[in-house]
Amino acid sequence: MHIEIQYNPAHSLATVHLAPHESIRAEAGSMVSMTDNISVTTTAGHRSGGGFFGGLKRAALGGESFFQNLFSAGAMGGKVSLAPSLAGSMVVHELRLGEELFIQGSSYVAAPESVTLDTQFQGMKGFLSGESLFFLKATGQGPVLLNAFGAIEKRELNGELIVDTGHLVAFTSGIEYSLSKAAKGWIQSFLSGEGFVLKVRGRGTLWLQSRNPSEFGGTVGRMLPAREG
Amino acid sequence: MNYTILDSPDFALLQVVLDTSETFVAESGAMVAKDVGIDITTSLRGGLLGAAKRKFLGGESLFQNTFTARTSGQRLFLAAKAEGDLRARKLGVGESFFLQSGAYVGHSGSDLKIDTKFGGVRGFFSGVGLFILRIEGPGTVFYGSYGAIHEVELHGENYTVDTGHIVAFTQTLDYRVRAFGGFKGLFLSGEGLVADFHGTGTVYVQTRNAAGLAAFLHPFRRIKAKAGN
Repeated sequence: MHIEIQYNPAHSLATVHLAPHESIRAEAGSMVSMTDNISVTTTAGHRSGGGFFGGLKRAALGGESFFQNLFSAGAMGGKVSLAPSLAGSMVVHELRLGEELFIQGSSYVAAPESVTLDTQFQGMKGFLSGESLFFLKATGQGPVLLNAFGAIEKRELNGELIVDTGHLVAFTSGIEYSLSKAAKGWIQSFLSGEGFVLKVRGRGTLWLQSRNPSEFGGTVGRMLPAREG
Repeated sequence: MNYTILDSPDFALLQVVLDTSETFVAESGAMVAKDVGIDITTSLRGGLLGAAKRKFLGGESLFQNTFTARTSGQRLFLAAKAEGDLRARKLGVGESFFLQSGAYVGHSGSDLKIDTKFGGVRGFFSGVGLFILRIEGPGTVFYGSYGAIHEVELHGENYTVDTGHIVAFTQTLDYRVRAFGGFKGLFLSGEGLVADFHGTGTVYVQTRNAAGLAAFLHPFRRIKAKAGN
């Protein structure tokens, strides 16, 4: 399997080249186009991820689409093109056995079945912040396709960094995170407009996005006519 | 007429240079700027019925503007609705090109015909408000995309494209629209209909989808207060 990314940074398109009988799972709604000879099954979960309730848990906690589509190539192989909803870049991380990748729910696009996805929400359960602080934990082996809103910044971390939750795309194991406040006091943090931030520390790789989906959604969404509850 | 496409691919701008008495027709709202030696006339092109058909079936506006240069070397700048690329397609006498209704920006050539291809369900991309315009030469048509334009050349095989990602296709291709994914619920989550193309020709695919952006923004809308509260 090879994932080719074109049209970065603003309007990226990922083309997944599938060898005969290979398959890839992708977030529902991300399919742009595909060659003939690919069969599609819609799943609420996936084989390695807890079935229906696994899918529900991911959708409720991870901010990820409830459904995933499994694209399986036939005897001739094939290609599937994928894109996210918003403007921005995509990147592939080759997950190695034994490594864990924590992905902000809305940043996940696709991975093969050799990668298992699970929700991960250590120590912050029930915390109301209005910004999603939910991560998917990817383990296993294979390429994981991520999307960013805006440009993507890859950083090798060795130490500490404060990151706005809406700008974090993903990070590898070796990095621990804890909820923190942007300024000294909670009131000041709230007034600063930065809300809650994550303090990440350790050694690993971190991806940031140059725009914040919640900020954009909030700005434009307020201008739209009210919807029915 | 000469033209240059500036600022491609992410925020393309079309610059047209007209000689004395030359005309250019554009979708209303497409004009960015023009030299003072260009006059504008607004008309219901194709008569009232033709315009109404285009408005209600094709999704483009009822009115079109005709730009006429009084002297030579007059510049006209035009843009598409969404961020993305622009392309030109020169058509010979009787040659056709199919455009997704929202992609049309403008054209040159007074004999160029624009018709809503309305072949019942076959040409009717329900749900997403997309229709197919048949453009028939002689003339040059200009069209825009949301995101990058990805060209896919077909040599007799089948190729599937999400209807929201279709920009244009050549007249040599045949297509059939069908539901995708098998879940009715997916219509709501942005993945609904796909077109299976067949034949030898080119499909122009856009890497972003307006319905996907709308689906992203929807949850950010305020909730309407219930009557009686």
